Amino acid sequence: MIPIEYWLVLSSLLFGIGVYGVVTRRNAIVVLMCIEIMLNAANINFVMFSSYHSVLHSVPDSSGQVFALFSIAIAAAEVAVGLAILLSVYRRYQTIEVDKINLLRW
Amino acid sequence: MRPGMVKLAAVGLLALLFVYSVLSVSWPEGDMDQLTNEEVGETMFGTPDKSGYGVVVLLVGVLLLVAMLGGVFLAKEESE
Repeated sequence: MIPIEYWLVLSSLLFGIGVYGVVTRRNAIVVLMCIEIMLNAANINFVMFSSYHSVLHSVPDSSGQVFALFSIAIAAAEVAVGLAILLSVYRRYQTIEVDKINLLRW
Repeated sequence: MRPGMVKLAAVGLLALLFVYSVLSVSWPEGDMDQLTNEEVGETMFGTPDKSGYGVVVLLVGVLLLVAMLGGVFLAKEESE
């Protein structure tokens, strides 16, 4: 048996690692990977709360697992488009350093 | 102080805030359930007496298809 706090602390730390990577790293691919880490922290929360809710209320309910699957699918779509955009940006600017790309700056 | 250290400190504070918030709540005692893949599939696609998330599965499939087509369109070589 793993207490609920352990899962919450794990997902909090994963989210913190993701935020740290997003705000400090300059390589856009690493930023994308850190965003995925943050999404996985949310997925852990989905599954964990659903699982504990089923046990505490004695109602078998796997909605959290299903939502986590949807979240994974949406993350895959996001990464596909993000990598394609990065590829296009690299062809144009020969870099994917987020500090040097000011295409959307106004 | 280097900007990297400031960011690290800010994110560390955020993580500490998360951990403190989690640990300051008295969570109910419980264990994880033992759901099987079959039950997850039944929740996702539904059963004859209970509706599932079939429409959402279809929409996610459309989203993935659109994302794939968009990715291919964005990543293809531009002709000079």
